[in-house]
Amino acid sequence: MNRESGSMSRRQLLSMIGTCAGSAAMYQAMTSLGFAAESSFKGEIELSAAPAGASVLVLGAGIAGLVAAFELRKAGYRVQVLEYNARAGGRNWTLRGGDRYVELGGFAQQCAFDPGLYINPGPWRLPHHHRGMLHYCKLLGVQLEPFIQVNYNAYLHGQSAFGGQPQRYRTVKADYDGHVAELLAKVTQGGQLDAEVSAEDRERLLESLKDWGALDKNYRYLKGPMSSDRRGYQSDPGGGLSGRPVFSEPVRLTDLLASGLWQAMPLSEIYDMQTTMFQPVGGMGMVGQAFARELGPLIRYNAKVIDIGQDASGVSVTFEDSAQSMTRQTLRADWCVCTIPLSILGQIPMKVGAPMAQAIAAVPYAAAVKVGLQFKRRFWEEDEQIYGGITYTDLPITNISYPSCGYFSRGKGVLLGGYLFGVQAAEFTSMPPQERVSKAVEYGSRIHPQYPREFENGISVAWHRAPFTLGCFGMWTEAARARHYDDLCRIDGRIVLAGEHASYIPAWQEGALTSALDAIGRLHRRALAAGAGA
Amino acid sequence: MSAAKEARRRIAVAALAAVLGATLGLLGSRARPQSAGPSMTKGTNDTATAGADIYRQICQGCHMPDGRGAVGAGKYPALAGDRALLSARFMALTLLEGRRNMPAFGGTGQEGFFFITPTLDDEQIAAVINYVRTHFGNHFRGTISAAEVKALRRPP
Repeated sequence: MNRESGSMSRRQLLSMIGTCAGSAAMYQAMTSLGFAAESSFKGEIELSAAPAGASVLVLGAGIAGLVAAFELRKAGYRVQVLEYNARAGGRNWTLRGGDRYVELGGFAQQCAFDPGLYINPGPWRLPHHHRGMLHYCKLLGVQLEPFIQVNYNAYLHGQSAFGGQPQRYRTVKADYDGHVAELLAKVTQGGQLDAEVSAEDRERLLESLKDWGALDKNYRYLKGPMSSDRRGYQSDPGGGLSGRPVFSEPVRLTDLLASGLWQAMPLSEIYDMQTTMFQPVGGMGMVGQAFARELGPLIRYNAKVIDIGQDASGVSVTFEDSAQSMTRQTLRADWCVCTIPLSILGQIPMKVGAPMAQAIAAVPYAAAVKVGLQFKRRFWEEDEQIYGGITYTDLPITNISYPSCGYFSRGKGVLLGGYLFGVQAAEFTSMPPQERVSKAVEYGSRIHPQYPREFENGISVAWHRAPFTLGCFGMWTEAARARHYDDLCRIDGRIVLAGEHASYIPAWQEGALTSALDAIGRLHRRALAAGAGA
Repeated sequence: MSAAKEARRRIAVAALAAVLGATLGLLGSRARPQSAGPSMTKGTNDTATAGADIYRQICQGCHMPDGRGAVGAGKYPALAGDRALLSARFMALTLLEGRRNMPAFGGTGQEGFFFITPTLDDEQIAAVINYVRTHFGNHFRGTISAAEVKALRRPP
């Protein structure tokens, strides 16, 4: 953007309008695809007693598989879980110092974080309305703490906005609200809204605009006590002779609009991101670990499923044990809950009808990349007073998220140095892991100049290269969902699928969890109908 | 990475970013300011370079730098020595529409949520197909043109 002349080329203008429409379209798409839907969790599931001797094989020990196994065992089923990894949780996962992670292609990384520091490569936050996840955390004694989603002191950053200088979220929001309120007040007073607004409402509207936008008595958003009380002061009020406040100057509306920074503001207004959010103390992986403790020997690790069969009397699943030189083994059970990601399930020979098989093949998997960076000190807190929350940028790293725990600790700190989707994620996936880390440091240093001096080490996870998922989550389109979703979820003989891919809350653990509860409820009814030992 | 290499990479990436029609609402997925470059294949005869760049920036994430794919709980197919590559049209359809877990790169509407898949134009798809069919030990005959790729696109 040519900010000196204040002019804007036609291309830039069109691009901005496109962007604007995109934001609205995004939200609409999210709603229709189920992203903004409330969890269907309505409290603890109470399955009646299982038929005597009935057994279930659960494939995959991610959130869906763990919940299914937990509840089916409680109902009295004989349960066994097969898991590809040497740990439970699946995408519910935390990387800590000492962990070794080998991605597809054989690229190995050793996490060198200090004790107590971590990143969550997959899910990292729990909305307050994801009641199922909160329920099981409480039940299993997984301690939760607030996850800071909105931080008014974090930044919005655009490479060509305000000369590349990051802006505090507080000032962008205050100035945007203030200017818009002032404009609305003007047209209200000018009578342009008289057709829409009654005389009585007109006064109320003006009053509310004044409150909302921090306008002065003349309905203007100007430098002064009102605006500084929102956007912050040039010099904060304090005590004594040195405490006289100095008001700050609002950014002009035209500069604010040109910056494009307003695009990031609605993100925390989205239902899934609204405060309060939570995170497990010690990392999201604590959830998977808690389930693993609970289920103990029911989970068989290092088991790579290579065939899923069924006949009139039961299911038979063949797997290779990677801890025992790929010895093959076949297990039988009456029923199967399969939570293997579709990216992998589509490659496993499986005896199901065409509708389910076609549904499994209809869902591509999304790219996403996270980068965790360890620094010698928590400079974002010490130098910039940023305690948790997220900075948004138009650099490829997209986000910098500051840890929502360990505030004011003197030692080192780990932040999320990048959370990439789409085209940026595809690019980063194609890099060797250490190059992703150095790119994240390079880009991040444009927002935090402390980066190069304070950086120590980092680790990156590119989900397309995760050996146990081959992608981040199933990317449903409206068309694919209309055509295949019900077929994916319906029981086929003795097999039912579950996971985030079988939910209207894709990519969220609550989707996996509610899909598991929905699936086992239906499977249980079928098992009861089939009778004991069937 | 050398400056020249970095610059070429930028342009290539820019071309990808520039064709992203949809946007994210996050600032991230907008075409980046530095991306106001020419399309990587237009104005240059060096389509082999274009194909190599696209492969390095996107394809090798899954099919790996050596084109040999990878195996975990599931696998990514090797492109080296894959007989399916006999048909450039099969490859073009795969790139345009996706295949099973592989996302579409033709901009055919799989960008449901804000996880927008990179979108390649006809020239870029042709370039990367021609590159893959003649590298990684592959010696498949014939090439595919941008016009032939275009003809395979389903009418909207």
